[in-house]
Amino acid sequence: MGAGEGGLTVEAATSEPAVAPRRRRRLRLTTPALLGLPVSWLAVFFLAPIAIVAAYSVDVLVLFPGPHGFTLSAWRSLFSGSNPYLHLFAKSVEMSLIVSAVVVLVAYPLAYFLALSGTKRKYILLLVLIAPFLTSYLLRVLAWKVILGDQGVINSFLFWTGLRSPDHPLSFLLYSRFAVMLVLGYVWLPFVALPIFVTLETLDRGLLEAASDLYASRLQAFVRVTLPLSAPGLVAAFLFVFIPTVGEFITPSLVGGTGGYMYGNQIVDLFGTGFPDWETGSVLALFLLAVIAVLTLVFVRFLRAGEVQAA
Amino acid sequence: MEGETFDRRLSRADMLRLAGLAAGVGVVAGPAAAADAAVARLTQESGRLQVLDWAGYGNDGGQAMFKAYVHKHPHNKPQFTYMTNESDALAKIQAGAHPDLFRPYVGWVKYFAQSGLVQPWNPKLIPNFKHLNPFMVKAGQYKGKQYGIPDDWGFDAILYRKDKVHPKARSWGLLFDERYKGKIAWFDDLEMITIAGLYLKAKNPWNQTQAELTRSVNFLKKKKHVARMTWASEADLWQAFGSGEVWIAYAWPNDWVTMKKKHPVVYMHPKEKPIAWVGMFMLLKGTPRPHLSHAYVNAWSSKASGQWLENNYGYGHANVEAKPTSSALLKALQLTNPKAVTLPNAYLDRNIPNRAEYAHLWEQVKAA
Repeated sequence: MGAGEGGLTVEAATSEPAVAPRRRRRLRLTTPALLGLPVSWLAVFFLAPIAIVAAYSVDVLVLFPGPHGFTLSAWRSLFSGSNPYLHLFAKSVEMSLIVSAVVVLVAYPLAYFLALSGTKRKYILLLVLIAPFLTSYLLRVLAWKVILGDQGVINSFLFWTGLRSPDHPLSFLLYSRFAVMLVLGYVWLPFVALPIFVTLETLDRGLLEAASDLYASRLQAFVRVTLPLSAPGLVAAFLFVFIPTVGEFITPSLVGGTGGYMYGNQIVDLFGTGFPDWETGSVLALFLLAVIAVLTLVFVRFLRAGEVQAA
Repeated sequence: MEGETFDRRLSRADMLRLAGLAAGVGVVAGPAAAADAAVARLTQESGRLQVLDWAGYGNDGGQAMFKAYVHKHPHNKPQFTYMTNESDALAKIQAGAHPDLFRPYVGWVKYFAQSGLVQPWNPKLIPNFKHLNPFMVKAGQYKGKQYGIPDDWGFDAILYRKDKVHPKARSWGLLFDERYKGKIAWFDDLEMITIAGLYLKAKNPWNQTQAELTRSVNFLKKKKHVARMTWASEADLWQAFGSGEVWIAYAWPNDWVTMKKKHPVVYMHPKEKPIAWVGMFMLLKGTPRPHLSHAYVNAWSSKASGQWLENNYGYGHANVEAKPTSSALLKALQLTNPKAVTLPNAYLDRNIPNRAEYAHLWEQVKAA
C-alpha cells in the first residue's frame, strides 16, 4: 500500500508540471467560452440598440436623409420648463409606484402563507397563482375589457342588484387610469409573489424559533426577523413590477383611453404616428432607461446597506 | 417606352444578350417576334409582390380586391406588410422596408412625391385607369405625373347613437360636447387639429397660422376630458361603440355600415363640411416588380373590385362604373355625384405643409 501510494504520489508529482498548464489553459478558456455567448447576446441585442438609439437622440443618425449632425437640442427641449413629456413621465412613475406598492402588499401575505404555513399543497397553490401565465398577455388584458366595460360583468351585476341603473354604469372602470392600474396589478401579481415566496421559503426557521425562545411575540418575530430577512425579495419584487410598468404601453393602449395614456405610449407614438420623430422618441426612451437604471442602483444600494446593518 | 417610367434599367450585359438573341433568333424566325420574346424573358419579374397596406386590405379580408391579379399571376402572389398609418409607412420605408407599392391617402401624395421615395405610374399599363373618377385621378397627380392611383374613398365625419344623442347642431362641435363627456371617441391622429381648426373657423385648417394652431391645440387640451378614448384602429372603435362605452365618434363610412347592425346610428356630415379622403396606390422608386405592381393596381381598379368594396366595406371606389347593390349605401356615399369628395360637399384632404409641427402638437395634446 505504502509503496503504491508512494508510487502514485511520485507519478502525480512528476506529471503535474505537464498537466497544470493544460488545466490552466482549459480554465482560461472555460470562462470566456461560458460567458462568450451571453455577453455577445447582450452586446448585439442590448448595448448596440442602445447605442443606435443614442445616436438618433443626438441627430447623428436620422430617419430622413438630409443635413444632420451632432446636436443636443432634443435633450435640451426635454428639460425645458413647459415640456409636457416630463409631466407624463411623472404621471407614469406615480401610476407604477402605486401599482408596485399595492401589488407587493397584496402578494406578501399570499407568499407568506404559501411559504410558511406548512401546507402540503403549497406548490399546487403556487401553480394556481401563476396559472394565468399559461395564457397570452394580450388575452388576459382583453379579458378585463369584458369585465370592466359599461355592459361588462361588474356593471351587469350592479344593474341586476339594482345598485346602478343601466343608464348610469360605472364608467371609470374602463378607459381610465384606474383600469390601467388594476390590469397592470393583475398581470404582474405572480411576478411579485414568486420572489417573495422564494425568499420566505429559504428563510432559516431556526431564527424564528430562536425569536420565540427569547419571548418575542409573533408580531415582533415578524417585524424584527421575517420582514428584514425577506426585504431582498420584497425589493426585487417591487422592481420586477416597477421597471416594466413605468414604460408599459400595451395595457394603457387597450384599456387606458385618454386618461390612462402613459409615457410608453408616447414613445411608441413618436416613433410611429402623426409624423415620425425618432429624435424625440429616442430621447424619451433613453431618459426612461437612465431613470430606471438610477432607481435600480439606489434600491440595490439601499438594500445592501440594510443587509450590512442587519449583519 | 414603358421601361422609361421605371428606375429599373437593363444592364449592358442584358442589352448585349438581348441584341445577341434578337440577332441570332432573327435569322431563323424573324426579328420582331424574337426580340419581343427576349425582352419578355429578360424583363420577367420574379418573387412575390410586396405590398404595404392597411389591415383589412390584404389576406385578412380584402382578397376580393386583388382576386383577378392572383388568378393571372399565381406565382407572384402579394405578400403583405401592414401599416397603421402613413407615418408608420414612412418610418418603415425610411428604416429600410422595400415594398413594391403602398397605399397612403390623398393628403400625403405631395409629400411622398417630393420625398424621392416613389416614382410615377404609367397609366397605359392600367387598362382600368380610364374608368377612374377624373377628379380623383387629378388629385393623385404631382407636377403633371401620376404618382397616386385612386382607389377607395370616403369621409371623415361623425357617427352617433340617435337613441342616446341629440345634437344641438350638425357640427364637429358634437365631438367636444360637454353633455356627452365620457361618451365620445376621437381619432388618434393629427387630423384632430385640422378638425379643431375647421370647428374654430381657421382660415386654412391644413395650414393654420401660429396663432390659430395655438388656439386649436389649447381647445383640444381643454376638451380632452370629454373624450373617453382616442381610437387608432377600427376594431377598437367598434368594440367601444358596439358595447355602448361611446355614443359619439369620429368615424368613417365603414364604421357606420358596421355599427348600424348593432345600434340605431346616424352618420352626420357636419355643417363645417366633412373631410373627404381618397386612397392612393403609390409605386416605390426602384421596385424590381413594376409591371406586377401595375397589374395589381389594375385588379384593384376593376368594376368588380370596386363593387365588392362598396358593398362590403361601405367605402366609395374610384371606378365610376362600380355601384353598390344597396340604395342606402348609394345615397350615403353620394355615388351619383362625381364630385362628392369636394366642395361644396366636403373638403378633400390636403397636404399639411407643416406636418411635423402638427404631429408634435398632437402628441402634446395626448400627453397633456
